[in-house]
Amino acid sequence: MKSLLLQHRYALAVTLRRFAAQPFSSLANLLVMALILALPLLGAAVLVSAEPVVRDMSVTPELTVFMQTSASASATQAVADRITQETADQIKSVRVVPRAQALESLRNNPAWREALAALPDNPLPDAVVVTLKSGDDLAARADALAGQWGKWPQVDHVQLDSAWVQRLEAILRFGRIGLWFLAICVAVVVLATVFNTVRLQAMTQREEIAVARLVGATESFVRRPFLYLGALTGTAAALLAILAAGLALQPLNGAVLGLARSYGAEFALHLPSLSVLAVEVLAAGILGALSARWSVTRSTRF
Amino acid sequence: MIEFQHVFKSYGRGRNILADVNFRITAGEFVFVSGPSGAGKSTLLKLVGGLETASRGSIQVNGQRLDQLPARARPYLRRAVGVILQDTHLLYDRTALANVMLPLLVTGLPIRTAGARARAALDKVGLNGKEELSPIELSGGEQQRLAIARAIVNRPAILIADEPTANLDHGNAQRIMNVFRDFNRVGVTTLISSHDTELMAGYANRVLLLPEPGKFQDSHPIAAATGGAN
Repeated sequence: MKSLLLQHRYALAVTLRRFAAQPFSSLANLLVMALILALPLLGAAVLVSAEPVVRDMSVTPELTVFMQTSASASATQAVADRITQETADQIKSVRVVPRAQALESLRNNPAWREALAALPDNPLPDAVVVTLKSGDDLAARADALAGQWGKWPQVDHVQLDSAWVQRLEAILRFGRIGLWFLAICVAVVVLATVFNTVRLQAMTQREEIAVARLVGATESFVRRPFLYLGALTGTAAALLAILAAGLALQPLNGAVLGLARSYGAEFALHLPSLSVLAVEVLAAGILGALSARWSVTRSTRF
Repeated sequence: MIEFQHVFKSYGRGRNILADVNFRITAGEFVFVSGPSGAGKSTLLKLVGGLETASRGSIQVNGQRLDQLPARARPYLRRAVGVILQDTHLLYDRTALANVMLPLLVTGLPIRTAGARARAALDKVGLNGKEELSPIELSGGEQQRLAIARAIVNRPAILIADEPTANLDHGNAQRIMNVFRDFNRVGVTTLISSHDTELMAGYANRVLLLPEPGKFQDSHPIAAATGGAN
């Protein structure tokens, strides 16, 4: 056991010595890998920052049936009752919003108060707000119901309130898939970079490998420094990538925050959680070691 | 200790460089392998060291059948056989001491212990005080002695050397051979290839003669063999 630990310590020392022997090419490799690894990190930062905002918004389709301004309160109630009767299995709730209540809630909004004061009477129609039950094919069902109800007498039009939220969620879903694709591409780049680095180093250490074998080195002993090289390169590149992504978010956040505040909102981009970052570092290290193992196995067959 | 039974060796589809070689070397023997260039001396030594595999036949070294030895066990055999090849294969990017420490570090010995044993090995071959020099700063004879130090630092049971005195003047060759003799005297089985009959006459008690590729003679006593070799 002690002997194995000593061999690992020796392998680590050999790795660091080889790393230090070619400082510029080693650092250049690290920087390239770090910048590439920073790309999915920045993408993940956008997604993890946007997701809570979207989650807080209702994505359950809410249909608002606007009555004609000439429709009476009893006609509005009749529409609400008909909706309840005909589509009871699809709806969660039905709520009548009388025109007076709608006007009152608008008046409570300072932005609308002055404009409404100038009007001689209430321009708003009665409305029926219908919340649908969630389930499969929700968006299609909501569209179908909106089309059907829009044709009813005294109904002016039907508005699907949460369509834009669904669109935003679809964009995020697309973003998530895109991020996975980007992560796979980055993994391939890391794999190729480490593979090539290890292959070049194995070629320059050819004589040392041959001598080590001559004096009784096992294949594990020969390969171990290269595995350390791959794992350390992957880990260091991932740590540098986090640093680079963190630094890049600073100026980005200045611009994003300014935009969000102009809409009266607070929004800032932030890196994924520490556990996600730890997994990223670990994955990069493991990927580097696996790539190094593959490379050194192929490059030291002599 | 070393036993060849009906050993054949050829490269590719070419003719046998070794054909039906049979011999047995017991522990503590000092044996020369002699013959002209291309007769198969280096190949024979590489077979003993497990650096080449026989095309046919059985080779037993230090109690292990090489043809039945799995690849993962070969490094452990090499630790029991000190090998000095014609090209010394020294590492010029590190010191003489680091070169000699390598076989010990390979076995997982602590650096401090490895350092002490490597210094002792350098002392035995007369390279005391040259530990921190690069091999490139050493003379040809010193480089050969450095290779010997690296081969013996692991206290191998068998020492094989391929033409260790080939490029040395008589004085240096004598010095190298004395080093081998000293190790042999403490029980290390020594197998050296050479075509220098004068050298052989002074040190060996047995010669394995390869007069041409595919031919083999196990000669006792030494005088007859050295006569036959020339």
